[in-house]
Formats: sequence, C-alpha cells, structure tokens
Amino acid sequence: MQMKKKGVLFPVVFTIIGIFFLAGCGSEHRFVKKTAFKDANSIVIEFAGPVDEEWAKNSGNYSAFEKPDPDIQLKVKNIVLSPDNRQVTLVFEDDLNSKEPHMLTLNNISSEGKSLGTAILSVKKIYLGYLFSILIGAMIINNFVFSKYLGLCVFFGTSQKKSTAVGMGITFTLVMVVSAMMSWFLYQFILVPFRLDFLQIVVFIGLVSLSVQAVDTILRKVNPALFKAFGVYLVLVIANCIIIAVPLILADSNYNALESLMLALGAGLGFLIALFLMSSVRERLELATVPPTYRGLPIAFVVAGLFALSFLGFSGMTIF
Amino acid sequence: MDPILFKLALGGMAVLGCIGLFFGIGLALAAHKFAVEVNPKVEEVLEVLAGAQ
Repeated sequence: MQMKKKGVLFPVVFTIIGIFFLAGCGSEHRFVKKTAFKDANSIVIEFAGPVDEEWAKNSGNYSAFEKPDPDIQLKVKNIVLSPDNRQVTLVFEDDLNSKEPHMLTLNNISSEGKSLGTAILSVKKIYLGYLFSILIGAMIINNFVFSKYLGLCVFFGTSQKKSTAVGMGITFTLVMVVSAMMSWFLYQFILVPFRLDFLQIVVFIGLVSLSVQAVDTILRKVNPALFKAFGVYLVLVIANCIIIAVPLILADSNYNALESLMLALGAGLGFLIALFLMSSVRERLELATVPPTYRGLPIAFVVAGLFALSFLGFSGMTIF
Repeated sequence: MDPILFKLALGGMAVLGCIGLFFGIGLALAAHKFAVEVNPKVEEVLEVLAGAQ
C-alpha cells in the first residue's frame, strides 16, 4: 500500500517540476536576453550584444505601459547605459506596479550600426515565483477551510481519525485537480466563445460529478486496493463546496492553465493540511475530559475556530 | 423577443447537449472498458435481505 502510493506520487511531482522549468524559459526577441523590474520605478533590459549609445540614450525609442491599461503610456525619466553597452536601465517618473505585467516596446534596436528590428517585450516578475505564490496562497494564506469557511461538512465528517483524514485529503486533491482543469478548459474554450458563461455553475457541477464518477470507475478496476482505501470519501467529494468554488474562482480571475493547476493543487493540499491538523487534535480530544455539553461536534467547532484564528496570522503575507 | 436571445438559447442547448452527449458516451465506454465482474450471488443475497440501510 505504502509502496503503491510512492510509485504514483513521484512521476506526478517530476512532471510538475518539468512544467515549471518549461514555463520559465523563452524570450520574445532574439537580441534581448532578459528583462526585469528593479527597485520601485526601474526596468532593466539586458541585450545579447552591445547596443549603440546614440540609440540607447534616445527616450523616443522606448514606450511602456501596464498590460491592463494600454492607453496610459509610462513616462521615462532617465536612461542609464552600463559601461559595456549591454544593459539599459529605464527609470520611470512614477513607481511601477510590479504585480501587473508591463509591455515594453523597443523601436528599431540598433547595434553596431545595424538595425535589429522592433522588439515588443513583456516584463513580469519571475513566473515560477508567481505560480508558487498562487500555490502557497491557496494552500496556507487563504486556506479554503480556515479562512474562507468552505467545505465544512466534509471537514467535520471525516476528521475524526488521522487515517480517514489523509485518505479523504488525497482523494479530494486528485478529484479537485482533474475537475478544475476540465472546467477551466471548458470555460475558456467553449463557454466563453459561445457566450454561455452564465451557465457556468450548471456545467461545473456536471463536470465535478463526471470526474468523481470517472475516477470511481477507473480506480475500481485499475487499483482495487487504493479504491478500497478511498471507499466512501470518493462519493463524499461531490458534497464538498470547495470543489465548486475553485472553478468559479478560476472563471472569475481568468487564470491560464498553469495558474489554474496551481490553484487547484493548492486548494486540495490546503484541505489535506486542514484535515490532518484537525484529525490530530480530535484524536487527542477523545482522551481529554471535555464537559458533556461540549463533547463531539461542539468542541470540534471550537477547535476549528482556534485553528482559523491561528491561520489568520498568515493573512496579508505576500511571497515574492 | 430579441432574436439574438433565441439564437443564444438554442445555441446553448445545442452546445451543452453536445458536451453532455460526449461525456456521457465517454463515461459509458469507460464503464464498459473498466468493468469489474461482480459475483452474481452478492446481488441475490442482497435481494433476500431486508435492506433498510
């Protein structure tokens, strides 16, 4: 049993890491090596070779705007060229909002007298870090159970024993990722083009039950041992509201595929963490002397409230 | 009523119908492919029992 789980987990982890590395590569213009934010109001552009000083010092060659507001051009205050002519630092008049990607246009880049064409670049924070922050955000900072109070019925129902809690958490994460990716795909490529996005809830509910049914059918044949371990929890997943909340959030915030994957994974793992913490406490509560009126569910609610309070300590945190 | 709304409604029915049909057939095929043989005696015994739960 333990071996089986490991055998499934490792390829999944490696695939995710691989996707991360793929997402980190790629530049938009062959002569531009790197673009990045620096300080509060600067953007650094690194070129593959030396650029002409005359071209680089002309502020008319640069235009920049925040991606959501293409009509607000940002004013360049100062241009600093590094001694080897390979690096240009643009200093803007106002502070930049580095949370949003910025579009930067370099007109007719000229290097050693040759024109290398116009480059349209997007400047953004390291994508890997952004994805990671979505994952951690959904997992801990905005934990769906402790700070959004979603999925409480299943949370209290299956957190009596550690083994059931972990089983439920893993099953939930699996179904969550499958159904969230499917609903993201259907929403972006079918519902939005056909202007049917007002039907999103109906479609998402259908997809959740579909993925539960599919996992149930396939797992029953492929891995009966795991199926037995999951047992009833698989069906219980349908009754969990986190699983419908995540596709709705995805539809609302226009995430792309990788960001959606991270949010779904974060929501699932966050639920797993919540269940594990809660079940550890409830196992100990069995041995504690609890006043008769509080025994069972009431004391569990009190404990959940304390957990929510302590998770409040993470609120407002930003990573990267 | 606005003909555009009719178009939207009919289009929506068609699209959702197609999605439903597609996934329905998919599930049916999966159920067929991953079918697990259950001992017929299990059902017979369950039939005989009271079955309140």
